[in-house]
Amino acid sequence: MINGTVVDLSRVQFAATALYHFLFVPLTLGLSFLLAAMETVYVTTGKPIYKQMAQFWGKLFMINFALGVATGLTMEFQFGTNWSFYSSFVGDIFGAPLAIEGLMAFFMESTFVGLMVFGWERLSKGQHLAATWLVAFGSNLSALWILVANGFMQDPVGATFDPFTMRMQLTSFQKLIFSPDVQSKFVHTSIAGYVTAAVFVTGVSAFYLLRKRHVPLAKRSLRMAALFGVLATIGVITLGDALGFVAARVQPTKLAAMEGLWKAQAAPMPFNLIAFPSQTEQKNDGVVQVPDLLSLLVTHSLDRTVLGVDALERQARRRIEQGIPAVQALRVLARDPTNAAALAKFTAHRRDLGYGFLLQRYAPDLSQATPAQVRAAARDTIPPVAAVFWSFRVMVGLGLLMLAFFVLAALYSLHNTVQNKRWFLKVAVWMIPVPFLANECGWLVAELGRQPWTVFDVLPTWMSASTHSVAYMVFSLIGFLGLYSIFIVIELYLLVRAIRLGPAEPGGAGEGRTVPAAAHGGKAEG
Amino acid sequence: MGLYATLQVIWWLLLGVLLMALAVMVGMDMGVGAILRYVGRTDLERRVALNIIGPHWDGNQVWFVLGGGAIFAAFPLLYATAFSGFYVVMLLLLWTMILRPLGFEYRSQIERPAWRNTWDWVLFVSGAVPMIVFGAAFGNLLRGVPFHFEWDMTSFYTGSFLGLLNPFALLTGVLALSLAAMMGALMVMNGAEGALFQRARGVVQVTAGVAIALFAVGGLWVHAMPGYRLIGGPGPGVPQTPLQQSVVTVPGAWLTNFGAYPLLWLAPLVGFGGMIGAWLAARADRSHLGWWLGALAWSGVIATAGAALFPFMLPSSTDPSMSLTVWNASSSKDTLLWMAGFAAVFVPLILWYTSWAFWVMRGKVSAEKIARGDEHAY
Amino acid sequence: MRTFLYFLLFMFLAGVITILAAILGDEGAWYFAWLIGTAMLVLVSAAGGALLDAQEASAAAAGREQS
Repeated sequence: MINGTVVDLSRVQFAATALYHFLFVPLTLGLSFLLAAMETVYVTTGKPIYKQMAQFWGKLFMINFALGVATGLTMEFQFGTNWSFYSSFVGDIFGAPLAIEGLMAFFMESTFVGLMVFGWERLSKGQHLAATWLVAFGSNLSALWILVANGFMQDPVGATFDPFTMRMQLTSFQKLIFSPDVQSKFVHTSIAGYVTAAVFVTGVSAFYLLRKRHVPLAKRSLRMAALFGVLATIGVITLGDALGFVAARVQPTKLAAMEGLWKAQAAPMPFNLIAFPSQTEQKNDGVVQVPDLLSLLVTHSLDRTVLGVDALERQARRRIEQGIPAVQALRVLARDPTNAAALAKFTAHRRDLGYGFLLQRYAPDLSQATPAQVRAAARDTIPPVAAVFWSFRVMVGLGLLMLAFFVLAALYSLHNTVQNKRWFLKVAVWMIPVPFLANECGWLVAELGRQPWTVFDVLPTWMSASTHSVAYMVFSLIGFLGLYSIFIVIELYLLVRAIRLGPAEPGGAGEGRTVPAAAHGGKAEG
Repeated sequence: MGLYATLQVIWWLLLGVLLMALAVMVGMDMGVGAILRYVGRTDLERRVALNIIGPHWDGNQVWFVLGGGAIFAAFPLLYATAFSGFYVVMLLLLWTMILRPLGFEYRSQIERPAWRNTWDWVLFVSGAVPMIVFGAAFGNLLRGVPFHFEWDMTSFYTGSFLGLLNPFALLTGVLALSLAAMMGALMVMNGAEGALFQRARGVVQVTAGVAIALFAVGGLWVHAMPGYRLIGGPGPGVPQTPLQQSVVTVPGAWLTNFGAYPLLWLAPLVGFGGMIGAWLAARADRSHLGWWLGALAWSGVIATAGAALFPFMLPSSTDPSMSLTVWNASSSKDTLLWMAGFAAVFVPLILWYTSWAFWVMRGKVSAEKIARGDEHAY
Repeated sequence: MRTFLYFLLFMFLAGVITILAAILGDEGAWYFAWLIGTAMLVLVSAAGGALLDAQEASAAAAGREQS
């Protein structure tokens, strides 16, 4: 049996490395298209300032990109190193999008990013612009395939369990990539990246306008980012709503946790604006509600409802009882694949196999399972409500804040008065961390809300981890935390430094890299 | 042979091609990192060396990502079992590999010698360690690895970290490192002039010599080593788990395939020929030719290991019958078919734009331009 | 004050667009929407940059402001 501490440590390690990776990815997704927009203006109008913009933001892009790529390597292999049961159980489906990501997207992105940085003199204007566009599409297609894989964990369509190979197998590739969860999640995440980049560019430009440095570049960057951001934020909110609507159907436990919905409510359901959920008592304290809003948000109607935690737990208990024979039959089939009776029994109960696995945590021998153990397993099907509830609210709150911010930024910029609004410029600089925080909250809602499953309704988290020792896990966790802490310090230092130095002005001053190496003594040993 | 078995073999071959591409392209970049402090004596020389692979290392690195993805998609049980079993070694690989992009991107951001020296050493470690691990992995595949499965395919690795660093694995590890350093040096010769070119030329000759010797010793070692033989099981193209076959270990069994198909001896021959050719080409200052011959050498070496192992992918030393083979570790027919379709479209496309990128950035890297402060150079 | 009214107006518009988009599309063709939307975003932001150039040029021509 798997050691619970190892599973917990594996989860901490995965969450830490994924959240860290996800600090850098959204900026790449969005900034690449902003670079493409800037360079498009350069190529169509021929004005050198847009080339200067593309090169300056391109430099910041690369500092961020390096760490995104580096931490992405870890993610690709961590399924194998730390979630080996998960990997062999769903690799037939989950591995394919990861491989296609490499084939279709990551290769394109990485090859053309080299040309984007090194090719300014070697490529024609049009060729270079094409390279920049391909980097943008490459990085976002990358995100698409990663989210196809993630979407399968949230809503495992297009696959079925095969008792002869003891794993999930692909039945429909089309269903996998066109699942509504995948579609809305991809667009939501990709555009959240656009918003992140737009806030970043707006904030850094505001910094220059405050200091009255590089004013023409900053004004143009701010204008482009503000317009990009206002539309992107509307998109993110729209897709967030679509995602909630999908979750109401395919992941009712996640939705109940997001909304702190312990008991069923009559339609139209009120929305908990503020609440302090208690998992043990299954109720909310200090509730502030908005009438009717919840039905409107999650069912797009006023006369429909969704299930609360109490009803969901009752459902889970029934499915756990149905899952017991499925696991028992599977054990027989593992020894004897030709046993027809076991196959028939398994086929009758295969739908609830995952729930049988869930119970195994409490009752390793399922034939001896007690009603108390079934209740405990059913209680497990509810994700940590308070964490999901508040991550969701912080994300939505920050999203609305950014919408207001961008509307104002666009307005001031279109009036060409933004350089005079010092209070707004100061706010803009302080807005830079906001989208990053919102992104992390979004990840938490999606992945904490999926618990206790790695693949929703199919494979429990507690079974998915590799059978490592606690010592190995402590070692690797300390290694990751140590390395990643050093990385973030270096990255922030270099980013802030590059921002302070500012873009290379045509005169030549103010660019650290342009100082000849020879001036500092050719020998590197020192 | 049915469609499923054909797909399994195709994906085994494709995986081999991916590993070759990984070894050639990523190995070359890592080789440059490993020899950077030797071939480049001044900061400017080192920057020239880095800028030779500067536009390409990022794209090349994707072969590594793609290798991982392809194993996951086509042989998920291998991906799960090998990477969790090799945990500490995998961490070494990952930790050094995630340092590499930072070494490239961050080294030139700041002028201070201490900063640059630190990143030089980072590039050295992140070049040498992953290549040793990559080579050692093959060594351990040939020796067998201690693991077994429970009824539900939960895998248990029962060896220690040090067991993976046995003498044979270290030999294959150093073989991989010397081939990588050879390719890196040939690439430096392609793009450099003067003293840098000359020192790289020396590196090629030394590393090629070491590689030839190690490949020969490794071959003799395998000859005497216990190999694995599949004596019963559901066979190719049948959905199965590793609990349904029987495997025995027999000394010298890794040469069985070569005995049955003498044509396979071409693989080690190409390996030796490529190494010798690369050595001669470097002596004649014909580094482009040498690079291609070096790539051929890599392909020969990997093909030799693959030919010896087939159909095994990860033999179990503690319970040989639970060894992973092409037949029991692969994905389902549908997945293999879909993936084959994607590979058929995108692999040629990748080869096309990668060669275009190399063609665009062809020629010598100008030390003058870098010294002048070319904005876009590392 | 005028700017504030504009702000309210635009916030209201943004809200209406969001609500319309949310209600009209339960399960939309999101891949297609992403493609069109991204292209539109880039074009609008590029047009915004070009518009700023025009604004500055006309301001400079009127001699009111230099930048």
